[in-house]
This record gives sequence, structure tokens and C-alpha cells, in this order.
Amino acid sequence: MRSLLLASTLVLLPLAASPWVQGDDVPERTAAEPADALEARRLRALYIDLFGRPPTLEERARWLGKGAAELLDVALGEPEFWRNWLTEELYFLLLIDNFRPTSERVLALPERLAAGELGVRDALVYVALSASFDRRNPGPDTFVTVVLEQFRGENVQASPKNLAVGKKLYDGTPARFLGQMGRTQADVVRLALGDRHALEVLLARAHRRLLDTEPERRALGDWARRLERDPLAFGGIVREWLLSSAYQARLETRRTLPNHAFVRALFVDLTDRAPSDVEVDRIRGAMDGLADATPLRSVFARLLVDSGQAVLPKKAAIDDPTAWVAGLFERLLGRSATKDELRTFVTTFHEEACRPATILLALVTHPDYATW
Amino acid sequence: MFSPEIPRRDRVLGASANRRQFLAGTAALSAGTLLPGLSRLAPRTQHVILVAFAGGVRTRETFGTPANIPNLARLAKEGVVYHRARTANLGHFGASLSIFTGIAEARGIRENSRGEDPTVFEYARKELGLAPSDVWIATSGGAQQANYASSIHPDYGARYAANTLDGDGIFNQEFKRLLDAYGRPKEMEARERELLDRLRGAIGGQRSAEDVARSANDAKIENYILDELTRGTVDLRGTGAADAKALRVARNLLSIFRPKLLGVVLRDADVAHGNFNAYQEVIRRNDAMLGELIAAVQDDPELAESTAIFVLPEFGRDADLNSRRGLDHGDGSDDINYVSIAAWGPDFQRGVVSNNEVRTIDVAATIGTLMDFQGRYVRGKKLPKLFA
Repeated sequence: MRSLLLASTLVLLPLAASPWVQGDDVPERTAAEPADALEARRLRALYIDLFGRPPTLEERARWLGKGAAELLDVALGEPEFWRNWLTEELYFLLLIDNFRPTSERVLALPERLAAGELGVRDALVYVALSASFDRRNPGPDTFVTVVLEQFRGENVQASPKNLAVGKKLYDGTPARFLGQMGRTQADVVRLALGDRHALEVLLARAHRRLLDTEPERRALGDWARRLERDPLAFGGIVREWLLSSAYQARLETRRTLPNHAFVRALFVDLTDRAPSDVEVDRIRGAMDGLADATPLRSVFARLLVDSGQAVLPKKAAIDDPTAWVAGLFERLLGRSATKDELRTFVTTFHEEACRPATILLALVTHPDYATW
Repeated sequence: MFSPEIPRRDRVLGASANRRQFLAGTAALSAGTLLPGLSRLAPRTQHVILVAFAGGVRTRETFGTPANIPNLARLAKEGVVYHRARTANLGHFGASLSIFTGIAEARGIRENSRGEDPTVFEYARKELGLAPSDVWIATSGGAQQANYASSIHPDYGARYAANTLDGDGIFNQEFKRLLDAYGRPKEMEARERELLDRLRGAIGGQRSAEDVARSANDAKIENYILDELTRGTVDLRGTGAADAKALRVARNLLSIFRPKLLGVVLRDADVAHGNFNAYQEVIRRNDAMLGELIAAVQDDPELAESTAIFVLPEFGRDADLNSRRGLDHGDGSDDINYVSIAAWGPDFQRGVVSNNEVRTIDVAATIGTLMDFQGRYVRGKKLPKLFA
């Protein structure tokens, strides 16, 4: 119900100047609204949604107060945005840890997507044809089931016919699968990802990820048609979503950060650098091993703070503790501190046993920090 | 070795247990809402260990090849074994989840989200008022298996979740090396710890009693993880290492937290798709690690006479080898649809082999009977001929 309401009140912001919106893809504007200036909350959320991490200090200084559309125009052309999209998709397919694809073809996808050399559907075909996907989903039953479930949203137990036919193709027997002839394991992937329904499933997944709502049926059909017509339209569709009133509405509630985003956030916020994929994978893997990762998140926050790598001023160098604490709330939690919070923090700061690290730890080990 | 003489002294139930018994019986008569088949309450079992010997394991390679499973075979010999336990190929995730919910439910193979129906862990925590540290699951399958901790059911859910630890995810060399590179977190002085708590408590207003309790539980788990990283679990390697770690973690959790309900979920047997010999190797290794877990129960006087153990796969595998000389799971044969359940405990019969048809989802109902909780949504029935 809520998603219907949000979709129907979608407000589109200025689009024509964007490299992500071209020709007849420019949708009709339903209302005009000036681009929102990026404040702490929105900037942090947009960075996490686009890149899977918050902004560094330099990026923050660059973008605070600028328009969201301007940020999006830059971000959607960055390989880092597409790397984050691919990371999310690989996680969705559980191609993680030992199953993370290592082939050149898959590793090159973010650059190729950013350069407009291929679209998201083709990228997923490459992923599903990788040795990692095959190793992760061994045998005809598992392989075809996962392709149908993950790429098409099918319940194979409820309608086993497609599974039975797909298994024939997997074994090299020609058969009509999803309305078209095929005869190989690769055909299972190509045909499963080849129609508009597969695009709807792909877009609905991205919509849920970014807006936390189910897309409205008709809008989803429109987006899928656009993507079918123009395989490179995905960036433009994401741009619309992130500039919409639905995204504004999504920011009114906070969602729990997935472990990989939490690890990246912690690195950036404490050390002002993005971690390597290897660092993220190892820590994320450990956190994924807990239904509630809070204890391990806390352990890792303490490790980073105590490692000497955290960017922390000396206590004596903090001339204005109130401003310093207020700045930390804005940067780490994406909101202003309340008067009570500020009072408690500043009073505590002046206690001898309180280090700047104590303040930082209190913020990054609090449940609010693990949300965006 | 683990053949303890189980004393037959009468157990004296506490007042609350007697009251619960009475209420449960009354409720059963008046509303008919108790687990199907619940006719008596087990008087001695205080701890339950439920091992999902999962990954797709046929009876042919377990009870059909006793040399593969000396420990499981002895456990069964001293308890009850059901060789005709009906199950379904609902995917590893769905079929394992069904063991915990008592409801056969299809789930996507790579689905990575909580189920809709409550698990035995949630029933136990909510209805018996158990603390988080009383209910644990040790897994070997990473992110997806963390979903066994709890459902999204509005009456149960995360508030009643089991603590879940994935042995291989946490206790691996790479993670240990990474932590070593950063150094251990420094011990915090008591005063600084107090200040930290005060600061955290000030964020977002008053903390609820539930939040405070959760923080205390988190602190215990933090310490456990840091300690476990220095034990031998990290060094387990080779084929089936993830399962071995899950069973080792379970053993260590048992001695440290003494949980009332401990689940273990394995999965390495799925290597069978491409390698039948490796599959058998996993089964043998898991049996050896299971032996460690059983010994930990047996060597502890209190646990030895108050612990029940259930071991069962989620489903079997195909009847015939595939072209890669491996075993898939999709032919719909009896080899895949029937598995064996072994049950051992102070309240169970000994030396019983049953060929009656039961279901893997019956285990959830049976645990409800043992632990004295209602399982409102459980569809299985108490296992027949189990109780002494």
C-alpha cells in the first residue's frame, strides 16, 4: 500500500542536462522541484547507496551543500558505483568468499559498465556464465533452480516444468525453454535473462535495495521497457529513483547497514580511507557468521580505534569540544546532536579518563551508527 | 566410551515446572493448541542438541555403511533410530529450515532472508523465558545460515533469536591474521568503560531493559569470540573443515554457555555433486567431530544425564552417480526423500530401530515435548516409540 502511494507521488527533478537521461528517455515531468542541497543525512545516505560507503572527509567537504543531481551525474559515471552494484548482485547470488568470481571478464565489468560498453543484463549473463557461478551451483538441478529463482523470481517447487526443461538444456538436449529453443547450459542463462520479465525482476531488486519498497507494477513495466529498448538505461533509472520523493520518504526511516557496508563505513569514518576488497571480505565474512553481528562489529571498531590508524586529534588539541562532538554526530550519524546528547558528551569529554577515542567509540558502537 | 549408565532416579520438578505442566495439560484439554502428540512431559532432559547433518546425506553412506559413522552408530544403538524419515528436496536452505520450524516449506536455494514461521529456538526462548545465552546455533554455511536464528513472525522474531555463530566464517586463518595485524583491542580501564557506557546510553535517549540485557549478552559473546580465536578451531583445515569448525564451536559453546537448546547446521557433504569420495570423507570427518561433541556431553556429569541429542540430514541424494561420478539431488528417488533420524537421551528408549514412516519435521514437535513448550505453528508430530 505504502509503495503504491510513494510511486504514485513520484516527483521528478530536472533531468535534461544529465548525461544519464537521453533523447526520448526523458520522462514527462509531473512536477518541478528544485534539486535539494545535500545536507549531512542525505549526503551520507546517497554515498552509501551509490558506493557502499560514506564520503571521505575530502568528499564531504566537496559535496555538502551542492545539489544531489550534480553528485549523481558524477557518481553514475564512476566505476566505483558499478563496482558497488556488482558487489550487491554477487552477494544476492551468494557469490562471495571462495565463490567470488575471479575471471578477467567479470573483474572488468565495472569499468565496462561505466564506459557504457554493456548494460546490466549483459553483465549478469557474464556473471552467470562464470566458473564461480557454476562451482557455486553444481549439477543441473541446483544450477537451473538458482537461475530460475534468482533471475526470474520463480518458485520451482510450485511450477517444476521450467526446471525440468532447463535441466534438459543443461545436459545438452535441445528443448523449448521459456518460449525459445536452446540446447546448452549457456542457453539456460541467456534465455532466463533474455526477456522483459527478467528485467522486471532485476529492476525490482534494485528498487527494493535503494528505496526499500516494492515498485508499483505499472512503473516497473515502464522501466523494464526502457531498459529493454536501451540496455544502458539503468543508470538513468537509478538517477530518477534517487532524486524522487520516494527516496526522500525512504530517508525518513533508518535501515540497518548490511555487514559489507558497515565495514566500509567504519574504515572510511575512522581511517578516512576505503578498505580493499580483501579487507572487506574477510571482516564481512566473519560478521555474516553471526545472526546479530553487533558483538563483532564492536570488536572491530575497538581494533581499528586502538590500531593507531584512526584519524584522531589529541585531546589537548581539541579547542572547542562542543563543536568537535557536534561535528562527529553530523558526520557519523548523519544528524545533529540533541541538547541532552551534547551536554552529556561534552561533560564526559572533560573527565580525565575520557579520551577522544572514547567519544568516537561510543558513537560507532551505538546501534544508530549501524543504520543509514 | 560414551555409554554412560544413566541413573534412573526420579527427577524432582521445580514448582514452576509443575505449574507449567499443569497449565500445559489444561490448555491442551481446553484449546487443543499443544503440539500434536504431546501426551507427557519429559522429566529429565534439560539440554537439547539438534544436529542438522545437512548438505544432502543418504542413509546408504551413513547407517548403510557403518564404518563411516562409528560414533553416530553407537549413539543410535543406545537410543532410537528411524530409518524411514520422510523429507523433501526443498533446497538445502529450505529443508534445513523445515527441521527447525516443523513445517515443510520451500525456500530458494540462494535465498538469504529469514523464514516466516517461528523456529524451535524462538519457541523455546519465548515460552520458557530463556536468556539469549541459553539458545545457540553453530553453523558452517556462512551468511545464509544465520537466517536460522529467528523468523520474521510478528509474535516471535529477532527478540527471541538464537545466538548464531558460523565456525568457518569467524574462526578462519585469514580473519585471525587480519585481527593480528591490527592488534588486539586494548583492555579498557574500569572508569573509561563506565564513561563509554554513559555516552552510549545518552545517544537517542533512555535505553530499555531489553537493550541493557542485550549489551551484556553482546559483551559475553565478544569475549568468547576473542578467546575462541586463540583455540584450535582456527587451525581446522581440509575437506569438510567448515563442518568440523561448526561441531567444534558447538562443543566449546556447550562447555562455556551450557545452552538449553543448541543447534548445529552442517553442509559440506554437498561436495558430493562433483566428488563422491570427498562426500564420504566429509561424512567420516563429521562423525569424528560429532564424537567429540558427544564425548563433551558424556564427560560432564550434569550434561550426561540431562542432555538429549538428535541427528538427521535435511534430505538425501540421488540414487545414481552423475556423469562426473558425483551425486546430485534431484531425481525424486527414495534415496533423496527418506533419511535416518538418530535420537539419544535420558528420556528415550535404548536400542530401538524403527522402520515406521516419520517425518523430519517431527523432530521440532518432539523437542517441544521434551522442553515443554507449545509449538503453535509446528505441523510435525512427536516421534513415536521414542520415550522410555
